Amino acid sequence: MKHGKYPFILSFLALPVGLYAWLVIVPFAQAFQISLTDWSGSSNQFNYIGFENYANLFKDDRLVLPAIRHTAIILVVLPVVTIALGLFFAFMLNIGGRSRQGRIEGVRGSRFHKIVFFFPQVLSVAIIGILWKQVYAPEGFGGLITGALRAVGLPAPANGFLADKRFVLASVIAVLVWSAVGFYLVFFSSAMASIPRDLYEAGIVDGAGRFQTFFKITLPLLWDSVQTAWIYLSIIALDVFVLVYMMTPDRGGPDGASEVVGGVIWKYAFNKGEQAFASALGVVLFFAALSLAVVALRFGRRERIEL
Amino acid sequence: MRKPNTKPHFSRRRLLGTTAAGLAASSLAACATSGSDDDSEDVSVGEDVENPFGVDGSLPLDVVIFDGGFGDEYAVQHQEMYKNAFPDATVEHLATQAIAETQQTRFSQGEPCDVLDNSGAQQIPMDVLVGDGELAELTPLLDAPSYDDPEVTVRDTLRDGVLTAGTFNGKVYALNYVFSAWTIWYDAALFEEKGWTPPTTWDEMLALCPTIQAEGMAPWTYAGKHPVYLYDMFLMLAGQHGGVDVLKAIDHLEADAWRHDSVVAAAEAMYGLWEAGYILDGTPGIDHIESQTAFNDHKAAFIPVGSWLPNEQKGIAPEGFQYAPMAVPHLEGAVQPGLISAGGEEPFVVPQNAKNKPGAYEYLRIMLSKEGSQIFGDTVQAATVVKGVELDNLAAQLTDELVSDPANLFQPRFRFWYSTMDEEVRPGLGSLMAGESTPEEFIERMQTVADETAADDSIEKFTHDA
Repeated sequence: MKHGKYPFILSFLALPVGLYAWLVIVPFAQAFQISLTDWSGSSNQFNYIGFENYANLFKDDRLVLPAIRHTAIILVVLPVVTIALGLFFAFMLNIGGRSRQGRIEGVRGSRFHKIVFFFPQVLSVAIIGILWKQVYAPEGFGGLITGALRAVGLPAPANGFLADKRFVLASVIAVLVWSAVGFYLVFFSSAMASIPRDLYEAGIVDGAGRFQTFFKITLPLLWDSVQTAWIYLSIIALDVFVLVYMMTPDRGGPDGASEVVGGVIWKYAFNKGEQAFASALGVVLFFAALSLAVVALRFGRRERIEL
Repeated sequence: MRKPNTKPHFSRRRLLGTTAAGLAASSLAACATSGSDDDSEDVSVGEDVENPFGVDGSLPLDVVIFDGGFGDEYAVQHQEMYKNAFPDATVEHLATQAIAETQQTRFSQGEPCDVLDNSGAQQIPMDVLVGDGELAELTPLLDAPSYDDPEVTVRDTLRDGVLTAGTFNGKVYALNYVFSAWTIWYDAALFEEKGWTPPTTWDEMLALCPTIQAEGMAPWTYAGKHPVYLYDMFLMLAGQHGGVDVLKAIDHLEADAWRHDSVVAAAEAMYGLWEAGYILDGTPGIDHIESQTAFNDHKAAFIPVGSWLPNEQKGIAPEGFQYAPMAVPHLEGAVQPGLISAGGEEPFVVPQNAKNKPGAYEYLRIMLSKEGSQIFGDTVQAATVVKGVELDNLAAQLTDELVSDPANLFQPRFRFWYSTMDEEVRPGLGSLMAGESTPEEFIERMQTVADETAADDSIEKFTHDA
């Protein structure tokens, strides 16, 4: 079988590697190339201008700098909140229930809850955008939250949440969390299923409450999954675009209060005819994502527990 | 039991894949830089008055229409006219709102369509297309004999001043086909029923507001999520008060142009609407559809929109609703109260690398014929840039009265000339009308960005013709 092993392997790899090179690596390389030019995007002529686009990136305090700031906020808040909620719900649905006749199980109706929480995952992001735009709308225009707040006598932003500089970014993040948490609930649930029940039983016998069970047994054993979730969510955070595009005033407003890097790339590429500048920002985003993943994987490592 | 250490590898790969999505904007277009650049022949005007551009009737024609407020029904009928003239030709018709997303790559590949209606929020910036040499000059079209009368050139069939918006450095690159005005709209039927007179001055309007509120309506609403709808209203208010030169000074980025008394007065008047509570609750948080629906539902009496409003509302307009335009009510002491933001809109362009340029010119000539122009008028109830088209609806007749004096037509251009200014004036007006910034803050904000733009040598400067 040794004979002809490499041709055999290569014949399997050729197609996927070829596709990957053509659809991913070549466009990446071209993005680097374009970012060094003054290409507008609507002609096939351009000049090389060195790193001027990169230098100008960090002078743009109208779009780019706010976008970087907002994306950084999302990058911190989205993974923390989503993972915390995902872990909490997964724990409650799998382990957190009252122990009946010594069996470890979730709270009552956990199967039902799992489906409910997972539901947003089934919806396309466009539908989520339209749905929440309506939920956040001003009171007189069918806004659910504003209407509910007023109904119980609490103050609500007069123009809805998305037209208010103070709330718009938080509102977008809330939708991101809402739509992601179901997936991580299921993700963590399946990881929890691989934790042997006798560990919990031993813990309970020793008098551990839910709180201790979670922090002393569940979390350490799920560390790998949490790390993976963190990287996924970070990538989602860096790529936030559609919700901002669909929901917010002037696609990043009001007054730039919800600009994100993805949206600014789109604005430069298609609204302002500055593909090269957009590419430069894309390249910066690429390196941000790359270093983030490297950092998360290298420094997030903990000692593995042998089970 | 030890879990195999596969996850990190998987995530790294996944990472590359997803970041690709983040870069999609650049990567999509990236494949395109290699496109060929075969310059097609320039079109000249021949002797044949029936076919002045020498169209080869066997070539297909590729037309892209912006599917916005005017829809694309008129274009379909124009294409019928073209097919009748050239029975062998096939016409490729695309109606879309995503102009830049669908057409930009075709430009960079050197394979653009033949006729492009480069309009809407996603238009490809005109200055970029012109600067890149991607557009064909339309002089041959304008010099050609008109469709109906070989003795008259196409240029002479057009209304005054409609070519200005498509002229760059003295050359016409875009035919702004629709004659359109930014006006304030009200329901004429409702006003008649209540006995209200459409106000001509700002003070009359303010005096009417309490009466309107007494009927349970708000006086004003607008597309708060797209504050660009306030741009012309605000600038006309300033221009009426101080004369058109005030607006030209702003367009020319002159020092202290924004601090002019008339501009300050306009900002204070707009802010005053919010202060007095004359704006429908929640307006800053609604888009053009919601605001127009609120207007249709008689939740608000006035709304600033362009001439396309009646056509856009066709099909959803309430029974008996009569869309009527009026000029922006002018401030006390206005020196040019008739000033109105009107001119050509919907820029039709012919790409320099179009495969069937003669066909494209001929298509535009057909659009500018009496019949073609009447088709547009009949289907969308709005005027084209062609003189003498009969329109039998109230909105179009009232608009015609408003724009009757060519000396009073002016389109503020700084938003189109300088994207830096555009990016400040939209959120600036939004904040002003939402009561989030004071008139002084708004004026200073605009003056600052105007000064910065003027001082930036890397930005190409434009001027109005003297």
